[in-house]
Amino acid sequence: MEEAPAHDHWKAWFQLYGAKMLLCARQWTRSPADAEDVVQEAFVRFWRHQRALGGEPLALLLTSVRRAATDLSRRNSRRMVREEAAEIQPDNDLPLFETGAEHDDRRQAIEAALRRLPAEQREVLVLKIWGELTFDQIAAQLALSPNTAASRYRYALAALRKQLIAADCHG
Amino acid sequence: MDEDFKDLEEELRRLRPQSPSQRLVRRLESVGLQRHGRGRGWMRWMAFPAMAAAVVLGFLFLRLSPPRPTAHPLATAAFKPVAAENLLLDASDEGYTTLEDGTPARRVRRSYIDTITWKDPRTNASLTWSLPREEIRVIPVAFQ
Repeated sequence: MEEAPAHDHWKAWFQLYGAKMLLCARQWTRSPADAEDVVQEAFVRFWRHQRALGGEPLALLLTSVRRAATDLSRRNSRRMVREEAAEIQPDNDLPLFETGAEHDDRRQAIEAALRRLPAEQREVLVLKIWGELTFDQIAAQLALSPNTAASRYRYALAALRKQLIAADCHG
Repeated sequence: MDEDFKDLEEELRRLRPQSPSQRLVRRLESVGLQRHGRGRGWMRWMAFPAMAAAVVLGFLFLRLSPPRPTAHPLATAAFKPVAAENLLLDASDEGYTTLEDGTPARRVRRSYIDTITWKDPRTNASLTWSLPREEIRVIPVAFQ
């Protein structure tokens, strides 16, 4: 886990944690725009009220992201019902990871495999790999037992590997 | 985790999540976060060590007082609460939200330090206890 920036400017903190917050927020929101709203709310809340508490900043930030996403989903529940009724698909095709010329096919294959995972497995995987949380922290975050979090993580990795092998075979 | 997943985990860790857009950074700039810099937070949270020091000094005072021909001081101490204070440190309006029944409401977050002081009138020893508290009020609003 990275050290919290020594600088006292929010931009240094946001540069370090913003991308990870956004990736996690995208697991719990319907569109990249909603995810950015959630990241904004969570970061402002953390910066104003929680930064002085100490501890692991990323864990606190992700808790804040989760809470903001839950709040947004409550606020939007009626809008979502309307969208579903009208069969509006959220614009969720933006890449999850930085794109680059090198190994970009592999990145695309991993992203496609990630998107096909069941949401409950994908969120555990994202919190573990990019959120750098322990299984205990993930369990607390998602109201699960640590054993359930660990087993979802294993299932996610197994499913991901299976899909990537299949993608390699089909070239 | 199993050895057989190690390579896959390493490969996943090497992927760097997409950075937030410049639009989001500009929105954060417009919020004025730097006003809430560490300087103010540092002063705010210095209240705790200061109060803890007051408690320690209170106990030291008890210990340095000339011995009295009584039993153990704590055995006979008769501390009574003499003051309770709720100090409001920060309040922020978090905007509008909607309650489950559809009522619009405002969400206000307030941070306090609650301080309670006990005193033993016989020895004049005092004990101060401070606790941070955060309160979120959801206040229904009516538009007229």
